[in-house]
Amino acid sequence: MRAAGRWISADLAARRGQVLVVIAVIAGVVASLLLSATVLAGATNPWQGLFAQTRGAQIWMRLAPGTNTHDLSRISGVTDVAGPYATAVATLSQGPVQSQVSLRAMTPAEPAVGKLLVRQGSWLSRSAPDGVVVEASFAQALHVNVGDGLALDGIDGNAARVRVIGIADTSDQGFYPDQTPGLIWALRGVVDRVEPVPGHIEELVGLRLADPAQTGLVVQQAVTQLGSSSVLSVTTWIQVEQSMARGDPLLGLLLALFGLIALGGAVLAIANAAAGRVLVQLQELATLKTLGFTPGQVMSMVVAEQAVIGVAGTAIGLAAARELTIPLLQGLPSGVLPAVMPLPAVWVALIGGGTELAVVIATAVPGWQAARVRPVATAVRPQPTSHLSWLTRTALLPRFPLAVVLGARAAFLRRLPAALTVGALAVTMTMVTIGLGFLSTVDDVQDNPASIGLADALTVSPGELSNAAARSIVYGDRQAAAVYPSVQESTLLPGDTTSITTLGMGTSSRPFPFDVAAGHLYTAPGEAVASQGLLSVLHLQVGEYVRMPIGGVPVIFHIVGRIIEPEYDGQVLAYGLDTLSQAGAAMPPVSYSLVLRPGVTADAGRAHLLRGAGEGLDVSIVSNPADQLGIVRAMLTGLIVILGLIGLTSLLTASAVGLRDHLRDVGVLRAMGLTPAQLMTTLVTSTTVLALTGVAAGTAAGAALAGRLINTGAQAYGIGAGIGRPPSVAGITVAVAIAVAAASGAAILPARRAVRARLATVLGT
Amino acid sequence: MKPPADELMRTAGLIKVFDGDGGPVHALRGVDLSLAAGEFVAVMGPSGSGKSTLLHTIGGLEPATRGEIWLDGRRVDGLSQAQWAMLRRRSIGFVFQTFNLVSTMTVADNVELAALLGGATRHEARERREELLGELNLSAKAGAAPTRLSGGEQQRVAVARALASKPRLLLADEPTGNLDSSNSADVLRLLGRFHRRGQAILLVTHDARAASLADRVISLFDGMVADDAEVRPPLGLPPAAAGVLRLSG
Amino acid sequence: MRLPLLALLAKEPAHGYQLKTLLERTFGEAYPSPNIGQIYVTLQRLAKDGLVSCQEVVQTSRPTKRVYELTPEGRDALATWLDEPSDGPRIRDDFFMKLALGPLAGASDRMALINRQRRHYLNLMRGLSGMAQEPGYGKIPRLLIEGAMLHLQADLDWLERCQQELM
Repeated sequence: MRAAGRWISADLAARRGQVLVVIAVIAGVVASLLLSATVLAGATNPWQGLFAQTRGAQIWMRLAPGTNTHDLSRISGVTDVAGPYATAVATLSQGPVQSQVSLRAMTPAEPAVGKLLVRQGSWLSRSAPDGVVVEASFAQALHVNVGDGLALDGIDGNAARVRVIGIADTSDQGFYPDQTPGLIWALRGVVDRVEPVPGHIEELVGLRLADPAQTGLVVQQAVTQLGSSSVLSVTTWIQVEQSMARGDPLLGLLLALFGLIALGGAVLAIANAAAGRVLVQLQELATLKTLGFTPGQVMSMVVAEQAVIGVAGTAIGLAAARELTIPLLQGLPSGVLPAVMPLPAVWVALIGGGTELAVVIATAVPGWQAARVRPVATAVRPQPTSHLSWLTRTALLPRFPLAVVLGARAAFLRRLPAALTVGALAVTMTMVTIGLGFLSTVDDVQDNPASIGLADALTVSPGELSNAAARSIVYGDRQAAAVYPSVQESTLLPGDTTSITTLGMGTSSRPFPFDVAAGHLYTAPGEAVASQGLLSVLHLQVGEYVRMPIGGVPVIFHIVGRIIEPEYDGQVLAYGLDTLSQAGAAMPPVSYSLVLRPGVTADAGRAHLLRGAGEGLDVSIVSNPADQLGIVRAMLTGLIVILGLIGLTSLLTASAVGLRDHLRDVGVLRAMGLTPAQLMTTLVTSTTVLALTGVAAGTAAGAALAGRLINTGAQAYGIGAGIGRPPSVAGITVAVAIAVAAASGAAILPARRAVRARLATVLGT
Repeated sequence: MKPPADELMRTAGLIKVFDGDGGPVHALRGVDLSLAAGEFVAVMGPSGSGKSTLLHTIGGLEPATRGEIWLDGRRVDGLSQAQWAMLRRRSIGFVFQTFNLVSTMTVADNVELAALLGGATRHEARERREELLGELNLSAKAGAAPTRLSGGEQQRVAVARALASKPRLLLADEPTGNLDSSNSADVLRLLGRFHRRGQAILLVTHDARAASLADRVISLFDGMVADDAEVRPPLGLPPAAAGVLRLSG
Repeated sequence: MRLPLLALLAKEPAHGYQLKTLLERTFGEAYPSPNIGQIYVTLQRLAKDGLVSCQEVVQTSRPTKRVYELTPEGRDALATWLDEPSDGPRIRDDFFMKLALGPLAGASDRMALINRQRRHYLNLMRGLSGMAQEPGYGKIPRLLIEGAMLHLQADLDWLERCQQELM
């Protein structure tokens, strides 16, 4: 036991460099796994994290002014009561644009329940009596930043100018504009200024429950206690969660796929690191056996050593992940991931334990092989083919250099190790290629919103102007490249819990430029295009018919195409507005979707319109989900780099092992008349050929898979297949070049040494 | 003195100095020797006398420090590594004590590769391979990896490999050094057979039996030639057992 | 014994006891101490063969000394011995004598001695090899030949050792 420990520590010390690299790789993999799992969890279910972090209240009730809330805490199941907070309704004016605001009075002290997570700036304080904190999604929708001045108007017209001193997340209500009005917190003084009439100030109270399942019951009891006339409205956590969960399917998709890569990379890294080390040690282990270690001892020593390395790497990875989580996610634009909860301990244990297990398993096979090594390290036993004529056959190719043929042949001599090296490289390269494909998809979505159906940049509604006035302004706007009149309706089909959005965009003769993935756009009244989500939910295919109520009238549509639609939960039916008139349906209120000229930013276009229109016109900017993808791009790039490092490490290890075999023959080959240049070529070829094969296979597989993966995921998420983009050629070229350079580089130095060495050394005489 | 026209290889004042751990090592201090076409010359001497160095230098595996080497009427001591390599392909065959075969190729491929390097066409190379392996009675093991052969078989294949390119000169460095007596005998028999067919051989050995097969034996001592004499079987050696008994006293 | 004594006398004349002392000094413990009687007998035989001549020196207070000297025939015999390779039943002893005493005799250098002996061994080996290859021999003679060859190899190795040590 002690001897084993001695050997392990001696070996670790002797190969410090290699060991540190392996530990770094494992740590990197573990950290990225943890981070990506955290992000994934946060992205797909932001409410949960947010709720936990804010110690939220499951029930929020708007009460009439003056309601007595003291006995609420006595309702069974209620653990805490938040508030009551004075709340006033106000209007926020930003130039001509007005938004409804719920202004809530809070104190500088942090509440015990329903905390706010300040993302930017700071919370309310007495030193800034005019300071307000805006809710994050509201702030993002209105392009409000810390330091902006806002004009708040009360119901009776009392105006107050306030300054934004902070932006915070809350679990009290869903995201704006899904749930209105927008939420702003201020000191009581501000609220009183905006709404001096006490009778207009409502009370907001939150109830935190021990058991969320009791929500309905508690609501009933609370209403009973307070009197139904006092309770103006009740919102529960279920509504909030639903609102928040309707997050970005695109983001969720990419993050899920991203997590997959991370997992694959992890397994690979670990297998390579552990196995590679053992292979290098085989000769030494033979010596150990001569010293008297039994096969069982040898195997357990090898596995134990790798396990120690694995534990070190995992521990460092865990610590790094913990340290990096906060700073990394603080870099996220607000609204993307409202709150990130530290991963449940189960996940951490799973990832950490899984890593360790992978190390042990990956070591077990070569460890067992090591145990079987004969005490006297015998000469290498290759398995040459039984075909005798390969040499003459290949030497046939007259221009083919003999050295290359010999080298290539030597590379594949030991079939299993060669296959493993090629396989590992191929898998790594596949994932790098897939990662590059994701990157180019993200880039494409960001640069080209039209490709995911977001051709329009602005949506304009008449607001206070008349339809005719609005229409003339919009159509007259010189910065608009195209204008599409549009109507939007939400329909809940019987038996369904989610709503379907019907969009009349443009006309059949001038349809909105959706991104059509299959079929074609509507060209005649009665034709429509549908998103994948809709098709899946209604079990329809392109070419079939569907009946949809529009403007109160059922209309039969012929589905002629499938579009990519990342919003509206992916359940969209779009048609030309002339269908409505033909069907005799009433025209819902029309707004206008504007496609701006290239080079005109959304903000500039909006400002221009508002200048021309004065007050009254309601212009909002269409949000591009890809704006939030910056973080994904960063993480993808990071992961690709890590994968690259992993591939490189395994390549270098494999090369070192392979070269050892071939260096022995240098003496004979030299005597047989191979020039030094030819000898070098042979050795370098033997490693480079393997690298090239693996990389080529990996690139091909990755290119084929990347698009398919994205489209499958997009389909499942309802966005619809067709957003996938092939990986960038430049990226792949760089990756291939690095791999080949590494392989050749690994061989060049030892080859040079061997070729130049005195014959006596090489022959071992 | 053999007429120069017959001369295959000659060294004049061959000097080789190595950079050793404790200063320069003078392995060869001016060696003059010559070899005629078809001649079998053995080089003997104690370890450290420079025998192997002599062989390696003549074969271009080590560059000479000073002196001349003439091969087939052409001066070769100043050739570059690459030029020596070309020379070794066609004109010189090498057999070492160990690691004589490319471990990553089959026995047959080893021989065939040598033939190809020597300039044979693929057809000729294949024929040569079959011919040589057949002569060695190793056709059955042609597809085997070198490590699966016994030491003696490996060395015989090594000789075949060295001769596959029909070299003018065969250089052998202690080919029987690692072999037991019966395997040694096999290899020596092989060498003798090729010698009788006209192959010129320069053999470095400490095996008296091997040396006695040569036409001439050169004794090397401390980097210089100490003796150079022909080997003559003793006259009037009675074939009867009595003579044997007398000798073994 | 004959030839070693001749070699010793080649340097200068000496009497029996001197020769015994010289022999002891040269060979030391490796050889059994020579018997003075044997020395005298050998000297007498050498004198009878005409290879040495004997002179009686009269001393005043001691018994008469017999001083021996090499004759020209004796010198010839010595030269012949040195110039021929050692052979015969006591091949090793004979050669060793030459190697040890030759320089005293002022005779040919050691290198030449060694070379000569080596050539002889190699020639013998050649002969034995030839014999070993002939099909006519049965198992016993073959084994004897094999044994002889092994001995020859050992002798050559020893020759090399001598060369290393004495050169």
